[in-house]
Amino acid sequence: MSFTRKPGGKALDILQNLPRISLANLRPEPGTKKAEKKRGRGQHGGNRSGRGHKGERQRGNRPRLGFEGGQTPFYLAIPKYGYNEGHSRRAQYQPLTLNRLQYLIDLGRVDPTQPIDLTQLVNGRGVTIQPQKRDYGVQLVGEGAGIFAAKVNIEVQMASEEAIAAIERNGGMVTTGFYDPRSLAVLCKPVPFFISGQPIPKRMLPGEDMVTYYTDATNRGYLADPEKIQKARIALARKYGYVLPDISKDELFHMLSMVKNPRQIFFGLSPGWVVNMAEKKILKPTDDKLLQYYSS
Amino acid sequence: MATSMLCRRTAIFSWAIRGVSPLKSYNPASSHCGLLHQIANYNPKPLKLNLKDPYIPDRESEKTPEWQKTAKYDRKLFGRYGSSSGIDPAKLWPSHAQLEEMIAEEREWNPPLQVMLKNVEAKTKEANAKRLAREKLVAANMAKMPKMVADWRKEKREAKQKLKDEKARRERLLAEARERFGYAMDPRSPKFLEMVSEIEKEEKKKRKLMKRRLKEEQSHVPPASSAASSS
Repeated sequence: MSFTRKPGGKALDILQNLPRISLANLRPEPGTKKAEKKRGRGQHGGNRSGRGHKGERQRGNRPRLGFEGGQTPFYLAIPKYGYNEGHSRRAQYQPLTLNRLQYLIDLGRVDPTQPIDLTQLVNGRGVTIQPQKRDYGVQLVGEGAGIFAAKVNIEVQMASEEAIAAIERNGGMVTTGFYDPRSLAVLCKPVPFFISGQPIPKRMLPGEDMVTYYTDATNRGYLADPEKIQKARIALARKYGYVLPDISKDELFHMLSMVKNPRQIFFGLSPGWVVNMAEKKILKPTDDKLLQYYSS
Repeated sequence: MATSMLCRRTAIFSWAIRGVSPLKSYNPASSHCGLLHQIANYNPKPLKLNLKDPYIPDRESEKTPEWQKTAKYDRKLFGRYGSSSGIDPAKLWPSHAQLEEMIAEEREWNPPLQVMLKNVEAKTKEANAKRLAREKLVAANMAKMPKMVADWRKEKREAKQKLKDEKARRERLLAEARERFGYAMDPRSPKFLEMVSEIEKEEKKKRKLMKRRLKEEQSHVPPASSAASSS
């Protein structure tokens, strides 16, 4: 009747009266930061400073990596063979597991309410692509298919069957699209490209070796027939034993059905446009020949 | 199940390596369950376009290096400073001559989809045809194999048999010679050879006689049979 207890009590009082948190009030949890060894100082860091006793080790004159004291080194002793020929020139696709994709979506680094593109993945630091090192994009890998539970519209460069099944089972859409190296560089780092003032290039078609992959509906290729893709979706659902959800009834249907034109690099931007970051303007060409070239 | 799981996971602040502030102001609501689905992006690196103090090279002066008067540099200037760089935006796109070059290059190195598909089809057809031809050849040869094996075996057998026969014949001749002359002679001596030729002549005569007899018998037998049939 007289005195009602405040919930929290004294702890709440203290919290309310303490000053604001700033760098002056914070220190790391004891045990998390180990002091580094300062070389050349003190009993343990000094004397030879962790370099050993005399010789090349202490004097910093060790031979090159791989040298084995004159014995034919491993990297020269192993003979060449045909199956390794041209290995450094082969296309590489950075794997993206469904585990990682789910992790990124859960942490909010990738937005599932918008189409997920390689640009979005790179912005969320989900994958690291090096277009100059023969990387041709990202491949979706089926690891984590059991726990994947996100409805996304994702565009990758290659996808395994289990990954496609896992995404479609959750009501999403997968597309595989080809980006030639220049387009890939533009896609991965759009802002430096816009600052260079060049018009957005048009995406080139894949070479003869990859054309069959991207025209195949089972790979959800961007050059494939949409009807065949629908049939493939149904067939895959039957194969893996799940009920294919009807996307057309979904409220995010418009977003899920967004697909890029084979010549388009960015959603909403056509080839030939110049995006200016300084004035936040888009410049479009008006010349007939240019328009014809960029829309071919 | 999927969407409820998604809603239950609320986003936590992601600390970028550059240590920038987390939450973006844009919060799209996931309307399935009413909970806010927070998207935390890495804030982009600050775009240091240097708009307050731009360096725009003097195109007329000789002191400016050549590379600062090129079209590529002009594009970069426009990209950084926009219209305040004083560059005609029409210069950003390729000129007609450059465009022609680009189109020619593309036509050579990037054929259209239909052409590529045709090429691929032709190649696969050729490869298949080659493979089929090879398989047919192999199958045909395999079908011939039993006969070839049998033939070879027969040949070997016959050769063996021939050798045996030769040996037996030589033994017989030696025995014959032994009988006739009374001592074991050298098969290479001329006497032996004479004897061999004599034996051969006798054999020939015998065979001729046999043949003539057979012929006579045959010529006798038909009229007898015809006579028998007629009578």
